[in-house]
Amino acid sequence: MIRKTRRKRNWFAAAVLAAGSLLATSLPAHAETGVTISTIKLGITLPLTGAASPGYNKIGNAMDAYFKYVNDNGGVYGRKIQLIQKDDQYSPQLSIAKTNELILKDKVFALVGPLGTANFTAVHKSVGLQRRGIPSLFLNTGFSGFAIKNKYPTSFTILPSYAMEAKIVSQFLKENFAGKKLGLVYQNDEFGIDALGAFTAAGVKFDVSVPYTNGTQSAATAQTWVSQLAAGGAQVVVFFGVTSATAPLLAVAAAARYAPQWILGSVGSDPLTLQALGVPVAVLNGALTPAGNPSPNDLTDEYVKQFQEINSKYNKAAFDDYVLQGMNLGLMTVQALRAAGPGLTRRGLIRALETKGSTFASVAYSPLGYSKTSNIGHTGYYMAVMGPTGDRKPFGGTVTLYTTDSGNGPVVKSNFKRPAMPAKGLPNNS
Amino acid sequence: MKNFKLKRSLTLIAASSMLSLTLVSVPTVAQATPACTTANFVTTCLGATSDAAPYMMMVPANFNGTVYLYSHGYRPNVPVPAGIPGYGGYTVTNTPEPVPGGNAQIIGALLGKGYAVMGSGFVRQGWNADSAIKTNVELIGVFKRQFTKTTKVVAWGNSLGGFITQALAEKHPDLVSAAAPLCMASDLGPLMTMAGDALWGIKTFFDPTIKGGGYSAGQAGYAEAMGDLVKVFTVIGALQAAIAANATAPAWPATSKVPDAIKAIPSRSALVMIALMSGVPLRSAHFDSTSAPAGIPATSALAFQQAINPALAALENLANAAALAVLATHDLELQAGGAIFDNTATDYAARVAEEQFIWPIALTGASGTRGLLSFLAAAPRAKANPVAVAKLATLTSHSGKVEIPTILFTAPADPVTIGGNQQSVVDKYEAYWTEKWAANRKAGVRSKPKNNQLVLWNFAPEKYTKFTAAGSPDTTAPAATGTNHCNFSVSQYLAIADMLAYAADNGKNLSGGALLTKLRKAKNMTFDRGYVAPRMKSLGG
Repeated sequence: MIRKTRRKRNWFAAAVLAAGSLLATSLPAHAETGVTISTIKLGITLPLTGAASPGYNKIGNAMDAYFKYVNDNGGVYGRKIQLIQKDDQYSPQLSIAKTNELILKDKVFALVGPLGTANFTAVHKSVGLQRRGIPSLFLNTGFSGFAIKNKYPTSFTILPSYAMEAKIVSQFLKENFAGKKLGLVYQNDEFGIDALGAFTAAGVKFDVSVPYTNGTQSAATAQTWVSQLAAGGAQVVVFFGVTSATAPLLAVAAAARYAPQWILGSVGSDPLTLQALGVPVAVLNGALTPAGNPSPNDLTDEYVKQFQEINSKYNKAAFDDYVLQGMNLGLMTVQALRAAGPGLTRRGLIRALETKGSTFASVAYSPLGYSKTSNIGHTGYYMAVMGPTGDRKPFGGTVTLYTTDSGNGPVVKSNFKRPAMPAKGLPNNS
Repeated sequence: MKNFKLKRSLTLIAASSMLSLTLVSVPTVAQATPACTTANFVTTCLGATSDAAPYMMMVPANFNGTVYLYSHGYRPNVPVPAGIPGYGGYTVTNTPEPVPGGNAQIIGALLGKGYAVMGSGFVRQGWNADSAIKTNVELIGVFKRQFTKTTKVVAWGNSLGGFITQALAEKHPDLVSAAAPLCMASDLGPLMTMAGDALWGIKTFFDPTIKGGGYSAGQAGYAEAMGDLVKVFTVIGALQAAIAANATAPAWPATSKVPDAIKAIPSRSALVMIALMSGVPLRSAHFDSTSAPAGIPATSALAFQQAINPALAALENLANAAALAVLATHDLELQAGGAIFDNTATDYAARVAEEQFIWPIALTGASGTRGLLSFLAAAPRAKANPVAVAKLATLTSHSGKVEIPTILFTAPADPVTIGGNQQSVVDKYEAYWTEKWAANRKAGVRSKPKNNQLVLWNFAPEKYTKFTAAGSPDTTAPAATGTNHCNFSVSQYLAIADMLAYAADNGKNLSGGALLTKLRKAKNMTFDRGYVAPRMKSLGG
């Protein structure tokens, strides 16, 4: 009796094993972490709460909305994309912990759009992305230090670097504000220093230069900045900082009736975020800003129009630059996944970026710099002027695109024509 | 940012972890056979090896043949007067320690399973690896003679004891079946460079009268070292008070001689700089470099998270690193015959090349970083005695080559034996394994060499800083797991003990689901092949 039972059990176990091995053989031979026959799991760390969260906290949901749209239209080679967002509160230590969680617990296939220079530096140093071979696509930071391919072989930037931005602003200052007294307010870390180095290299000399340490911005500190700028007679003021510093700067200046020509860096000029911080957007009227993308309100732009439609159905967030950026990150990601082919692997994804990434469709006007030797994303800006509602239009009426690099290369006016938005916003590249 | 008071003074853990011993009366002269007594089915034997090192053995009536040999951690080789602030008093002792901290729960659990435990107090304190290895080898022989049923010896040890344990595994695979170096110290050079950099930073920024090394011979040198301890903890106390009074811009201690231009940078930034340049972690017993009190404005919260909390973590951890630096430097200089710390060629700017981008707010931005680094660059450097350095190099170091199963476990945020110590042994073993694999392939052997090294980590939680209702940091809570020196729980020690027994019985480490289940039950033990701890700064970390 005992023997009979045991035989039965053995038979049952063998059947289960056989079924299991059949199942195993039907799966792709290249089974990769975070990829199943029906899903691709991606992860992002960003500040969803805390002082740095306004604006940035929209990027993840916008990406997710785009992925849901793609999923509802067949996914990527039949696989649906799952995006896991982790709140790091902009703290480097939390970024490490949350990235570890994404990798070890959630077992994501790749990171997309991780945000913050300090955060990604900490993650890269402590989590061992390179050793693990984990692709980190489209870093949400303009720090030029990440554009070192052999140091960050699995990472790819997306934004033009702060150095590129400063070089382009330098060119613009020379072309349009020669002879004016110049002021600069900059964040006293890698963000501002990246820019400062580029301004110096470009031969731009500021008559008044005001550094501030992130975390110290307030109405009281902005008062001292404005006092220094006004006392120095700055007629054109360039600001390289975050929006939480733009807000008190412009508010205090407006109250003091100090009205120089503002040139706000791309990071700190989002009108909706300023509004959320209690600053009337009217203070932006006439401010200039380097911009990579079209205005999020420009419905004549095929990308903006498509993304707005997706946003209204899948996200329902106020459509601004952050939402536009998040959607575009989604679009770029889907093209990268498609380019890697149906047999998706981490190595394949990196190879796809290196070999085909420069041809991807993207809302930004400038070329993408990806290649086997470059992990650099977009490479240029145009100058825009902001209106009383915070909306922006190209300076001079039409987009004049400047491209450059983060080093000693020249700033050139470019005739680059960006690729068309894929039909219905659904890439079909391979 | 409002002012706050730390609820309790920062306390040192180095001393308490070194000194939590089971006090027993033991012989101090060599005995051919130990003196044994049996009570409650446990035979306890006391004796001394031929070098007069006292030992203790505990063997249950149902002894299963496996004995755990424990090597204790670093104990200073000189007494520390009770009046020294922050450190309390310490009397040199060579009381044997048969399990970590003499913990009764661990003893009970192992004896209950039929295992025996033993440990020596070693004849000399301070850095004693070479003599301790000989003592342990002899002790194994004594035990086997006394308890002939012995079939296996497994070795484990904390801190310096971890160093000794790894060395035993490398040099005596014939005597030891499995080994677990825990919160281990690895090679002296990188370890003492870390401690020396921390002490030199404190001296340079906060009190240039700290000698920091090059101690005189004899009683005069002892007095100099104790004087340094007093000065270090006076500085630590002054900084603690300054941060409590004005966390945003704490004053510099009165003993500091930095120029006013440097004093314009908050002293807390100098603390963070010292931690970063020496490799001391920015996660301490009570400060996670992430949390802020609830209810403060968002911008203030960001500043607390990224500037004040890391400074407090640096303060708490540097106290331990500096204590190690003074006591171990004094000890090793005596052994080596001269000054051992040399930073004449150290480029501190290169040391923080990456970290300055992670902690810009804590360092008061690029200008603060530049100011602090320029002051360090121009400050007088410490020069070692080449003969002493050469002598130090003759002391035992790790090769990483083990042929028996070893289990490594530490906290990357350990402020004394930082995670880079364990990582260096991991790196060495990886190189050795790769070498063996290449040799196999060359010889036409297709099978990969066995992996004898199981690497485990004790990570700190994401957030653990506690605040009082008034919003002040609360340091009365026990140190968070994954912080402090050798701050392991009993369940973690017992999990290690179980894994050692398995490894000894099977000739290989526990793996797969059984390993993961064991770790999960013990809590806060992580197996992650992909993790690489920050390397020691002098090794390029």
